[in-house]
Amino acid sequence: MQSELRLHPLSILFGLSKSLKQFALPLLAFVIFGRPSVGPSEAFGGTAGVLETWLTLLIVPAALHSVARYLSYRIEYLDSEMIIRSGLLFRNERHVPYARIQNVEAVRNVFHRMTGMVEIRVETASGREPEAVITVVPLAALDDMRRHVAVRGGTGAGDAATDAAAVLPAATPPAPPAETLLHLPLRDLLLVGFIENRGLVIIGTIYGVLWELGPMARFWSRVFDEGSYGSGMVRDTLQQLSAGLWPAPERLAVIAAGVLGLLLFVRLVSMAWAVVTLHDFRLERRGGDLRSEYGLLTRVASSIPLARIQTVTVRQTVLHRLTGRASVRVETAGGVAPGGQGATVERQWVAPLLRASELPAFLARLIPGIGLEGLAWQGVHPRAFRRAVKPALFLACLFTAGLALVIGTRSLLFLPLLGGAASYAAWRGVKHLGWAADDDVVAFRSGWLSRALTLTPTVRIQVVSCRQSPFDRRTRMARVRVDTAGAGALSHRIDIPYLPHEIAVRLQSHLAERAAATAFKW
Amino acid sequence: MSIADGQWRSLDPRVVVLRRIGGVIVTTVLAAGALVSLLVATLTGDLPLVTASGLAGLWAAGAAALGWVAWRWPAIDYRHQSYCVDARGIEIRRGVVWREVVNVPRSRIQHTDVAQGPLERRYGLGTLVVYTAGSDHARVSLGGLPHDVALRIREHLLPAGAPGDGGAV
Repeated sequence: MQSELRLHPLSILFGLSKSLKQFALPLLAFVIFGRPSVGPSEAFGGTAGVLETWLTLLIVPAALHSVARYLSYRIEYLDSEMIIRSGLLFRNERHVPYARIQNVEAVRNVFHRMTGMVEIRVETASGREPEAVITVVPLAALDDMRRHVAVRGGTGAGDAATDAAAVLPAATPPAPPAETLLHLPLRDLLLVGFIENRGLVIIGTIYGVLWELGPMARFWSRVFDEGSYGSGMVRDTLQQLSAGLWPAPERLAVIAAGVLGLLLFVRLVSMAWAVVTLHDFRLERRGGDLRSEYGLLTRVASSIPLARIQTVTVRQTVLHRLTGRASVRVETAGGVAPGGQGATVERQWVAPLLRASELPAFLARLIPGIGLEGLAWQGVHPRAFRRAVKPALFLACLFTAGLALVIGTRSLLFLPLLGGAASYAAWRGVKHLGWAADDDVVAFRSGWLSRALTLTPTVRIQVVSCRQSPFDRRTRMARVRVDTAGAGALSHRIDIPYLPHEIAVRLQSHLAERAAATAFKW
Repeated sequence: MSIADGQWRSLDPRVVVLRRIGGVIVTTVLAAGALVSLLVATLTGDLPLVTASGLAGLWAAGAAALGWVAWRWPAIDYRHQSYCVDARGIEIRRGVVWREVVNVPRSRIQHTDVAQGPLERRYGLGTLVVYTAGSDHARVSLGGLPHDVALRIREHLLPAGAPGDGGAV
């Protein structure tokens, strides 16, 4: 194993394209919406066009930065840490101990694979960005880095058969056996796309842009002869409804077809997205590491030490339940996964899709000792519904008030319907609330249409808090919340509402005791 | 008398004086700012005298209400704050309307701070801040402790909370 790593010359090109990608969207917007003053024919020998000026202003510094990075970036492997040195003018030296490295991730898109390069991201527990983003190095350097981290970091319990401290750089530890936990074939990927329904935002944006540029209005007016199918169609229809008139059946058909068409189109795009992003999804357990690999154009290979997993969340939307599936995500300390958007979330998936019947076995293999069987589920306070129904009814009233702004007092007719629906939703939601706590794990499930279940091993509990709002105090209930490392703001947590106060106090005491009895290791 | 005896303790009563002073300062600054802007608006003629006197009455009422709250609230808040240190960790109770009991196990404490502002130094008080690896309770603070008590609690909490071989943050 070499002791120093330097960037490959191709990194100049890769780095440049990465910088330009950041400007691509504003540039595109400028090209579409702006008005280039002079054509490109005048670029040399005449007045340069605005576009050329901007391009030059962007490309030159980016290119210089890329070259500077190639010349200055180097990584030195020491016994217990790696030193990352970068920068010519503004020099930076970063020490990253191997023991603190949680994830060594390899990203390869089409160009990386054509040239045999890889982009490596090194993540530790602290901060939200990777400690090192290495663009680009040859593939052999990735194995090198993984070996350094594994041997000296001691993350994989089964990695080194001999004493890890005695292993010299010359010897490579034997590769531990890999156990495949999950593999998603094409059919499952299509199902993932169908269920997850990504891309609504993108499609909405594209549609909006196209509308702005004019072709959509022309398209619609060409498809329908009458001009009354323009943008005010839905509003007109609602007003007609509220006035007591029944709109023309053709209009209803058009609206219904439009909505269905949009939903179907979004689903198709989502399925295509899933196939491309998660192609050949493979999850393996190798010693003390979880290795996941996926992607068609951009291939991502990510490794998560099992010891870093803080919580496991199982999610089931309506579609999941209809198809008998579930999705599993984990939170690792340092890799804060935002609610549901953004690339970081995919990187925390351990199972985008899984059969519900295989769930207990999967969880048991994921984290030994933590499983769904043997959990004694308990409900919340019997009067919880009386509390939960009040905010639901309040929301229904708010919604009716909003509706009244659009269609007048006729919205009051909707109030019983909305109120009934809200109460039913509250009732089902409360019925499905449940929690379980034993010596090793605490679990919480919630949700009615869209269900979530979170498991937290007691060794991962940081702080336990018991809260009472004024309403809680009046009804003698309390809410118990378990704090873990790396929890995102929107992630499902152990946050149990409507517990009887005495039970809440006892639960807090039990969890605090179990947490105190164990040492927390990163 | 060991500090870690599992008894529930109140904060030092001098913290009420401290918080009152702070509240009065804030009220004074806010009221002065409002008064100055009112005077300026009246003197430059932007505001007719009738409105100005009405607003002045409003200002007086507002300042009085704020001052009353700043005076009364610390005593109420003090009654609802307490802490308990034992072998397992530290538990803090606080909140008047929204009540909370926070339990930090000793083995989860990453490091601790004992901080003293100028007013706190004058009254011999200190604030204990406990850092964990959690997300919304990454930093748990307990103010209004006598300074030596804060130091003793920190000494009790820290040795067992020292980082293991996994490395500290």
